[in-house]
Amino acid sequence: MFPPRAADDRYSMRRRLLLAFGILLVVFLGVAGYVLDRAFKQSVAAAVAERLQLQVYALVGVAEPERGGFFVPDPEEARFSQIDSGLYGFIYDAAGRELWRSASALNLVVDAAGLLDMQQLPGQTSYGELSIEGDVLAWAAYGTYWQSLDETFFFLVLETNAPSVAEIVAFRTNLYVWFGALTVLLSIAQYLLLRWGLQPLQQLAREVSAIETGAQNELQRHYPEELEGVTQNLNLLIKSERERQNRFRTTLGDLAHSLKTPLAVLSTALQEAQGAAALSEDQRQDMREQLQRMDQIVSYQLKRAVKGSQLPMARPVSVLPVMEKLSAALQKVYRDKQMQVELRCAAGVQFFGEESDLLEVAGNLLDNAFKYGHRRIRVTAAQQGKGLLLTIDDDGPGVAASDRHFVLQRGARADTAKSGQGIGLAVVVEIVSAYAGATNIQTNEWGGAAVTVRFG
Amino acid sequence: MRLLVVEDEDLLRARLVKALEDQSFVVDSASNGKTALFHATEYGYDAAIIDLGLPELDGISLIKTIRARGLLFPILILTARDNWTDKVAGLDAGADDYVVKPFQTEEIRARLNALLRRAAGFAKPTLEFAHLSLDTTAKKLRVAGKDVELTAFEYKVLEYLMLHPGKVVSKTELTEHLYEQDHDRDSNVLEVFIRRLRQKLDPDETLKPIDTIRGQGYRFNVPAKGR
Repeated sequence: MFPPRAADDRYSMRRRLLLAFGILLVVFLGVAGYVLDRAFKQSVAAAVAERLQLQVYALVGVAEPERGGFFVPDPEEARFSQIDSGLYGFIYDAAGRELWRSASALNLVVDAAGLLDMQQLPGQTSYGELSIEGDVLAWAAYGTYWQSLDETFFFLVLETNAPSVAEIVAFRTNLYVWFGALTVLLSIAQYLLLRWGLQPLQQLAREVSAIETGAQNELQRHYPEELEGVTQNLNLLIKSERERQNRFRTTLGDLAHSLKTPLAVLSTALQEAQGAAALSEDQRQDMREQLQRMDQIVSYQLKRAVKGSQLPMARPVSVLPVMEKLSAALQKVYRDKQMQVELRCAAGVQFFGEESDLLEVAGNLLDNAFKYGHRRIRVTAAQQGKGLLLTIDDDGPGVAASDRHFVLQRGARADTAKSGQGIGLAVVVEIVSAYAGATNIQTNEWGGAAVTVRFG
Repeated sequence: MRLLVVEDEDLLRARLVKALEDQSFVVDSASNGKTALFHATEYGYDAAIIDLGLPELDGISLIKTIRARGLLFPILILTARDNWTDKVAGLDAGADDYVVKPFQTEEIRARLNALLRRAAGFAKPTLEFAHLSLDTTAKKLRVAGKDVELTAFEYKVLEYLMLHPGKVVSKTELTEHLYEQDHDRDSNVLEVFIRRLRQKLDPDETLKPIDTIRGQGYRFNVPAKGR
């Protein structure tokens, strides 16, 4: 199993995309808001300027100079006649003296000198804003040359900006509402798009874990073309790895077979020659022992080489049927003993590894139990996460505490085994250690051996 | 006792057959699964020794087919692949015991004797009937606690009858299971052996352990102990 990477080690793809899209959204909406706001303000200002200019022209159109002043008949715009209406009109001469002011401006104190540019050419309009007693006013000043009087006059119109401020505020509120709604909408859309876009990857992850747990053999779904290459290669890899393992096992099995038959022939030949005088009894005994040793070494080393290990692609094996099969087989072999075998194993207990490894370990342990036990055997299997705890108890003589260390020593057994001793337990120890497990021998309540193996 | 030995390795088969014949078994042999199946179906055997790695029809399929045809004689498997996957597969297919190569012929003999005895329903290696006891390991007969000498052929006849107690065994069956195929099958010779056996088993003619069923054969009629 690959250890899961620490969650904060790297941003997940989904997080990366969400973050990138999020930043993009904020920047885009921010800039767009700013630009729109500015454009709207400018258009409002332009509208105000245009309106002021129209008012100025209207004023110029109706104003008649009198001696020392101006006469303006009732202007068309009613707001000029209404006091403090927010629209004010003034006429100044070239020296900056006020010649006329609208009725609306009776209360207004305007520093015209600071406002008017007396150098301004006739026919030109200038614009600006000024603040009077906290009230912001937009103004337009227009210089006009009166040919009959040979004099230049300045027409000034001021208008409070309250309505345009209100307009801008209303626009902004609207903008915020719309942009808020847009943000929410885009975020949802983005989330859904990401989900949809990353779905093949999630599917891939699910399938890979299904292969890990053995629920399926290979990736089965169709993936988008960007992933097709990866998934096809992954399938090929899984397949070739399985085939390689099988080939390896078969080859070694064949090797065992081809080595063992000549050994069997030699062994029987030796027995046949028992009566012949060519070899002394001691020599024959030596040869028998050596043949047996060769056989044990071949068996042991082959088993070591063939045994599996906990692969990420291992399929789980149901433990109960394996135990039932083994128990039935051994009951047959040891029929005379009439053993009572108690299987304590829930139906759902699984072994994550090669079935042949479980068979080998449990087979050797049960065989010993049948061999040394008198009347009863107990098999206990329990799941520990993905690991398996297997205990086999018998009511035989047990293993002396002083011998336990020796029989459990890894690899120590095959070469030192005395004639007649099997290699069963040594094989068990080898296989179990390949699964990063442990083997342990204790004495049970019947005084017999309780051999416990823990896988993974 | 008639045995079938199925092994594809010629040298090993020849040695195995010889070793078993030396143990006074009647042995037929086959070097492949198909021939073995033909033998097993055509002739009655008391037991078979079958190697798992066979050409044409592998050992497991051979055993399954033999069992599927209702043949119940005990089967001992020989396997070079010393792993539990193969052993369990063989036993599951219908074999009764296994021996891993290489083996000692004594081991084969001991396992075979145990299988034959068990097939006849005896739990112990000594067959006991009233005051008669036949030790199948040492091949010795004791009558009322005293050793009685038997010739090899007398032993074979007695063992066969004792392993089929209460059952009528025809002369043909006896000769088939006790003689080689090309042996001169004179039923008078068999009658002579039965007569000698009766004298050795029951000198006082009180127990009369072997019945002659006219026109059918012989029957060992003493109830077994510990069966």
